[in-house]
Amino acid sequence: MTTEAEDQQREFVERWRDPAYGCFSSGHKFCRNVCPVMQVTQNENHSPTAFHANIVAMEQGALTVADVAEDYVHCTQCGACELRCPNTLMAGDFYRARTRTVDVVKAMRALAVDSGIEQPNWKRWVEATVDRKNEPVLDVPVAQENVANWADGLGLGVGGETVLFVDCEAAFYRTTLPRAVARILQKGGVDFGLMREQWCCGGPAAEMGYVARSREFAVHNVADWRGIGASRIITLDPHDYITFTEDYPKYFGVDYEFEIVHITELVAELIRDGKLSLMVPIERVATYHDPCRLNKRKGIHKSPREILRAIPGLDFRDVDHVTQWSYCSGAGGGLSIERPEITAAISQQRLDRAAALDVDLLVSACVWSERPLAAAGETRDIEVRDLMELVAESAGLEVTAVTT
Amino acid sequence: MTTMAISDALYDELVGILGEDGVLTGKPARWNRTRTPAPFPVHRWKEYVPDVVVLPRTTEQVAEIVRLANRTGTPVVPRAAGTGLTDGATPLRGGILLDVKRMNEIREIDLVDRTVTVQPGINMLKLNEVLQPHGVMFPDNPASYPCSMVGGRIGTSGWSLIGARYGHTRDLVCSMEVVLPTGDVIRVGEGGGRKLRKASTGYTIKPLFFGHEGTLGVVTEATLELVPRPQAEFAAFFGYRDYDTAWRSTGALAKSGFATLAGVVLFDEWKLAYLRRDDEAYIEQPDWLKSVVAVAMYGNKAEVVPAAREIMRIGRESGGSYLGDEISQGDWAARHDRYAIPLHGRLRTGEVAPMSWHCEDAALNYSVLPRVREEWHAIADHYIRRYGIFDDWGMFAYTNGAYKPWGDYLVEIDIGIWEQKLDDEMWEAWLNCKREITEVTLRYGGSISACHGASRAGDVEYVPQELGGAFDVMKKIKRALDPNNVMNPGKYLLDQAYED
Repeated sequence: MTTEAEDQQREFVERWRDPAYGCFSSGHKFCRNVCPVMQVTQNENHSPTAFHANIVAMEQGALTVADVAEDYVHCTQCGACELRCPNTLMAGDFYRARTRTVDVVKAMRALAVDSGIEQPNWKRWVEATVDRKNEPVLDVPVAQENVANWADGLGLGVGGETVLFVDCEAAFYRTTLPRAVARILQKGGVDFGLMREQWCCGGPAAEMGYVARSREFAVHNVADWRGIGASRIITLDPHDYITFTEDYPKYFGVDYEFEIVHITELVAELIRDGKLSLMVPIERVATYHDPCRLNKRKGIHKSPREILRAIPGLDFRDVDHVTQWSYCSGAGGGLSIERPEITAAISQQRLDRAAALDVDLLVSACVWSERPLAAAGETRDIEVRDLMELVAESAGLEVTAVTT
Repeated sequence: MTTMAISDALYDELVGILGEDGVLTGKPARWNRTRTPAPFPVHRWKEYVPDVVVLPRTTEQVAEIVRLANRTGTPVVPRAAGTGLTDGATPLRGGILLDVKRMNEIREIDLVDRTVTVQPGINMLKLNEVLQPHGVMFPDNPASYPCSMVGGRIGTSGWSLIGARYGHTRDLVCSMEVVLPTGDVIRVGEGGGRKLRKASTGYTIKPLFFGHEGTLGVVTEATLELVPRPQAEFAAFFGYRDYDTAWRSTGALAKSGFATLAGVVLFDEWKLAYLRRDDEAYIEQPDWLKSVVAVAMYGNKAEVVPAAREIMRIGRESGGSYLGDEISQGDWAARHDRYAIPLHGRLRTGEVAPMSWHCEDAALNYSVLPRVREEWHAIADHYIRRYGIFDDWGMFAYTNGAYKPWGDYLVEIDIGIWEQKLDDEMWEAWLNCKREITEVTLRYGGSISACHGASRAGDVEYVPQELGGAFDVMKKIKRALDPNNVMNPGKYLLDQAYED
């Protein structure tokens, strides 16, 4: 290692050694049973406990970032381990010593990238994102000039106080979702506009360890928001919601003035206030998939259920949000890009759990989860749809993909 | 790229058995399958690292690995959850670390003859999630219930918090498949039965395979007891002005004779002081409170409801004040999550320091508890004064006997250790502290371990003394079953079996 790399590793160890020790010394490993990756690989290298213990071993001079970098690929950053950690459960409030495994994983990935240790698929992904300004989502052409094609024919304007931020996967691939959301907002009387030039949120780059790259996207997007006078940002993807509420405040500090709203919270409010009526029955047997970033990372689990219960005709078979700490689609944290076979196995396990409820529909509220979940659903005759698509349908709105 | 710690030839043979996905040679794989929970001599971590990790899925793969180990003279150390407090799964001679986490299948749920057959890498909480819809449970319930695994429970002969009612691990296994140290695969049960609870045919072999910590082979399948899920759970916490009254009350409750009694737990005044000063989940109690007794019952409503009234009467008549529903139900319900909250203890100055947790776990008779308690605290106090990295977190005593909770107790003193300060001198000081505690245990006719096992440094030196002639039999058995000393070599001083 170069001296600079050694200094970086020393700083990293200095920052994280005591929290890592809180995990290492107790060794409960309650996290193992809720970790989606551990559940399918059963390889303890991928356990949250190992992610902390490695830092203690680095402090002992036994391991280096080069030894461990690849292990840290095996994390969806779902946050289940943090919730299940007894240190969080029993001591977290008192000491503000909540276990922060997601931050540890992000920091280790950043240390790896800064040390010149890159994962090939992530490297390609981030390079392509930088090149096109949007993520190279699979199976569709991605180019900045097409980022708002999803909105064709909807008559949406640019700018205003409230902006709808449309995630890359939704903008280019699952265009039914943003179209449904736009129609719901129009019907509910919410004034909103689009950005002049929407780039990737930058969250995926940060999750993969490319923090400087992530900042470039953030700087562009925030400048665009400010340029059009936006003060409120609506997200339809939980990953964007995390990026805007956790990464951006770190980048901009006290100067970050935006209110970030997630679509499920807003739509639940519209229904509650009588501004959106769900009248069209949906005669399906459904269960709900708690997106990790809403449920485990942000504690948003009531509003999606409130919405589902408001849909007439729906036989909703719920699994409570705590049980779902151990559920995941496997799509988050870049896992699906670097280890798609593990993502697929995690989605298979999620669909097994849905199938046990005898449902024909799995409703998610995270667009990134929907591709692997849908693939796993095919063999079980379980359809996977986004909550907002269902809401639009029940509100009598057209739910179609863009045809251009 | 990390250089392998094993030969290419051994690697190729292992891959031949397990496929590439089942053989891990990297440093993080090996370093993360070494330690068990604290205290661990973190400054000497590298001495305990295995040379290769294997992740088998089948009994046949385990048997082939063990045969290969015999051919090549390579140590094999089985490891399930790695949460044990006796370092059973910590390699002492490198070799092959056999991680059974991929052996996590439930093979059969038999609701007629009331058994469940599993592989060793399954955790009890996960198992009971599957069993719950059938109205049955596997009642092995240690503090580590959400993380420990069936294989490790058998390997260490685990102790259950509700063992007074339902039995401990060894009472809950009808039969099991074991890969012997030679690679032969046998089934041990009651006689030749898979699902029998009692037989008298031949020697009683099954108990030998509890608590051997991998020195006599690897359990690869177990047929476990299923019990009805209890209709009713009752927990009560009583408070006392002094320890002696609480101790007498504990005795009265434990001797009550109720079959539904799942356990009685006695907290001493050091424990109360520790909870008051440093347990952020502590539910505030009046100042006069010096000792607490917790009691729990499980069973059918027809049994538990009237028995609970009697327990309340006995608790009060023996000097206890009922402490209310919040602590009674809340503390008991949180018992797993609250096990070993480490994070911090205090130096003698009152200053907070990050500390981890040691739990002494002797088995002792009821009659000697008050005297042992005084002597143990005096030892702890000496080391706290002298070394400045320890803290006394008080004592618990739990009813110990399965179905017969009255005569003996699992006695625990919890000691905080500032592990980051450990060096050779401090580690030796810690072992000496532990040795003095052990000597007290043996002087009062107790056993070093009621639940963890006794193969940790500071304990293991006293095993020959405790067992006497039985230790010679242990050595003969070890040598007979493991002629090449490949299974977890060095553990329990069993190298002595090969000295002549």
